Amino acid sequence: MSLFENESGLFSRRLFALGGMQVSLFALLAGRLQYLQISQSDSYATLAEANRVNISELSPARGLITDRDGALLADNDRKLLVELVPEQAKDLDNTLAELQEHLGLSNARVRELRRRIKRGPSFKAIPIAEDVDWDAFAAINLRLPFLPGVSPRIGEKRIYPEGEAVAHVVGYVGDKTAADLRRMGRIVGDTVGRSGVEREFELDLRGTAGVRHVEVNARGRTVRELETNPGQPGQSMALSIDVELQRLVSQRLAGHSGSAVVMDIETGELLAMASVPSFDPNDFSRGVDTRTWEKMLVAERKPLLNKAIRGQYSPGSTFKMLVALAALEAGLVSADDKVTCSGVYHFSGEMFHCWREEGHGPVNMLQAIERSCDTYFYDLALKVGINRIEAMARRFGFGAPTGINLTGEKWGTVPGRDWKRANYDTGWRSGETVITGIGQGYLLTTPLQLAVMTAALANGGKRVTPTLVRAQETTSPPEPLGLAPEHLEVVQQGMYRAVNKPDGTAYASSLLIDGQRMSGKTGTVQVRRISLTEREEGVIPNSELDWHLRDHALFVGYVPHNAPRYAICVVIEHGGGGGQVAAPMARDIMVALLRSQGQKPAADGQPQAMRSSTPGERS
Amino acid sequence: MSYQSQMNRAGWVEHFNDMHKPLFVCVGLLGLIGVMVLYSVAGGDFSPWAWRHGVRIIGGLGLIYALSTIELRSFYVMAYPLFGAVFALLVGVEIFGTKNMGAQRWLDLGFVRLQPSEFMRLALVLALARFYHGMHQNHVSHPLNLIASVAMIAAPCLLVLNQPDLGTSIMIAVTGLSVVFLAGVDLRYFMAGTLTIIAAIPVVWQNMLTYQKERVLVFLNPERDPLGAGYHIIQSKIGIGSGGVFGKGLAQGTQNQLNFLPERHTDFIFSNYAEEMGFFGSLALLVLFILTLFLIFRIANQMRHSFSRLAVASMGFSISIYVIVNLAMVMGLAPVVGVPLPFVSYGGTSLLTFMASIGVILAMERQTMADLPK
Repeated sequence: MSLFENESGLFSRRLFALGGMQVSLFALLAGRLQYLQISQSDSYATLAEANRVNISELSPARGLITDRDGALLADNDRKLLVELVPEQAKDLDNTLAELQEHLGLSNARVRELRRRIKRGPSFKAIPIAEDVDWDAFAAINLRLPFLPGVSPRIGEKRIYPEGEAVAHVVGYVGDKTAADLRRMGRIVGDTVGRSGVEREFELDLRGTAGVRHVEVNARGRTVRELETNPGQPGQSMALSIDVELQRLVSQRLAGHSGSAVVMDIETGELLAMASVPSFDPNDFSRGVDTRTWEKMLVAERKPLLNKAIRGQYSPGSTFKMLVALAALEAGLVSADDKVTCSGVYHFSGEMFHCWREEGHGPVNMLQAIERSCDTYFYDLALKVGINRIEAMARRFGFGAPTGINLTGEKWGTVPGRDWKRANYDTGWRSGETVITGIGQGYLLTTPLQLAVMTAALANGGKRVTPTLVRAQETTSPPEPLGLAPEHLEVVQQGMYRAVNKPDGTAYASSLLIDGQRMSGKTGTVQVRRISLTEREEGVIPNSELDWHLRDHALFVGYVPHNAPRYAICVVIEHGGGGGQVAAPMARDIMVALLRSQGQKPAADGQPQAMRSSTPGERS
Repeated sequence: MSYQSQMNRAGWVEHFNDMHKPLFVCVGLLGLIGVMVLYSVAGGDFSPWAWRHGVRIIGGLGLIYALSTIELRSFYVMAYPLFGAVFALLVGVEIFGTKNMGAQRWLDLGFVRLQPSEFMRLALVLALARFYHGMHQNHVSHPLNLIASVAMIAAPCLLVLNQPDLGTSIMIAVTGLSVVFLAGVDLRYFMAGTLTIIAAIPVVWQNMLTYQKERVLVFLNPERDPLGAGYHIIQSKIGIGSGGVFGKGLAQGTQNQLNFLPERHTDFIFSNYAEEMGFFGSLALLVLFILTLFLIFRIANQMRHSFSRLAVASMGFSISIYVIVNLAMVMGLAPVVGVPLPFVSYGGTSLLTFMASIGVILAMERQTMADLPK
């Protein structure tokens, strides 16, 4: 019996040991439960939610861009595209080979894709082909189970019905890049505005992303929709551009290198802004290949450059109005004071030539503007002095951005004593004042600045801020420049005569529509130095020079002469004489504008009185 | 007079009144919880699992009752033949078994598919208890006896391991060793054995199958393969953790209802239960298991014969190890070894074995004083 007891006691001890081990293990399990379900409960709840809910982004439709009358300048369309996430592709070589077969990709394209796959992060989708045709798209969809990582989808594509004509204004969109994400944070959709209005108004056009929360099961299949926020489609916007006029402008300029701007002188609305040669923005929204892009970048005539805001030129004779205004304001001369032009002006041992070798004889201010006499303005500039000329140029907005709602604007140079010291570390020479008097030398302006200047001359001395957007409360109201009306009158008179008097430099471009005429001023800017020998042997005509040595042709003007509404500036690079090349273009453009205004019901009401007034000199 | 011969129509009722009812009720409750969770797993539907489980539980309770009426002496007499029969079945599986999910575990008898490895635990416990029954304490630790018992454990273990089914093999080994331990074999053998196992780990590692190695590696770091092998553990932890204090409510678990939980009607059933019933519900289930085990061990301690004592305690220990390993697995504390949660998980053979164990335990509890040869 004692044996039995002994044995039983051992059993009980061992059972107790086993039981103790189990109790501690159960305690461990209870502790683990407490940890999972109480301590870490929140984070696991979050994980469960993340498991359950699939959040997808709905990219909003990009806002449309129209001209002032609602004609489409930028539209949206659907496109079929195929993307590949390299990481998910099981056999990259086979996948690429099959895609090449279905999509008809060139070997070069496949090599480029391989390079991109190698370089880029492997989790990021790489576009294989865009604008895929339906058959290929359907074929790839069928083969999808055997092509892991390939995703055919429907994307949005931007189309520009007007093509080249408004390319520089509207701009284009491109695929978003890492740099865009850094610059703007999260971006919805595939594309982002790259230039022009598309870039400038990116935030408005883009809209806000919609979000769709769907409950998914472990296989990712949607079980039900939880909530959907459709987002906000991008705002559509109407530009100030008149697409018919714009088209005409770019057609009229075609074949040259240059730009033209047509502006409402009161509101600053741009009715046309064209730069030639241009490019087709549709090429860019499709994705332009590197070679075409590089070719465009280095092309002599710079198709990608919007010359209206980024081209900088000496204003030449179009600047003479400001010299005249500076002189009148200072009370140094009267408009009737005459200067005799002999074709050459001597100053401190240097000879300054008038464009007319035989000279203009005695001319007063009106005649000097009409005939663009250089000698008169050499003389006047010296009388006025560079300080006053500089101040006047700055009042008209030179040397500063016009404030147009378009990025990349240049603002030229207004030289002066301080500027010279700061940039060249030498003092100002009087000879430099002389050539500044005819808008040459260091002075640089953009065509848009010249249009703003012309508008101010025409609207009674107010500097407007040019804008591309229609019916916008003007960002800054026109700024009165404090010019005496009688002084402006003189200048306007001179500009009227330049176009409408037989001796005027632009007489060949005069127009008459419903009693409305154009006032303006030509400019011919020399881009090379003419040597003394050449002067003696006869100046080589532009037609015999290399293109890049020819003069720039400029014209600024406004219509109607007696009740101004629209200002124009045409700058043709290396086009030759302003009167021969730029003025006729301006005339044709203004004729079209006045005709279309005549056809349109007098919406703004005012032109009625203007039409009945008789053309003629005002004094 | 043997107990069996007293049975008549009135005897059945009397017999039932005589039965240890708390354990019977506990097992019934666990089965009921299983039905409830399986109902939830199916998205609030009794088909396909809940009703079958319910039927099996009722059948199982009937089996418990039936087994509890069997004479103690019969278990004693049948211990070796039963062990031999199940061992033969294991060999049969080895030769004729049906391949399923990469492992050869099933013996398809046409109307039912049996997993003899599960029965082995019960047969082994009875055989070992029989082996140590009445053995003098001085002989228990004798090397020859030790070799004999280790051979009885090792032979079926190796067969099951060869199927390959590491989880069940370990369970059989641990259950068998618990009999050896409780029989009073010198602790120094266990220490030596433990050291040997530690020393053998590198060798075992070398011989493990890739999926087994992967399971261990992923257990050590589930994030190693979040969409593959680690997926089970991660999703299970998310399920349990997101249940919080009060749970998401029956059939409301998102992890469960949206199929994120794998094997959630079998091995991972607790994860689903914990997600929907929360911390308190989980604790309640834990307490019910502890209560069940406590009842079994108390019965074991009351047994007069070492045969009953060893058998009851080891069968209790076996159930306890299943519970602990399963819960540790779903909570991310142990590798995924494919061990069901007793009475709750959906499954045929393992449930049958657990029910049978309870039946044997109750039979022994009722016949404490019955005679057995020394």
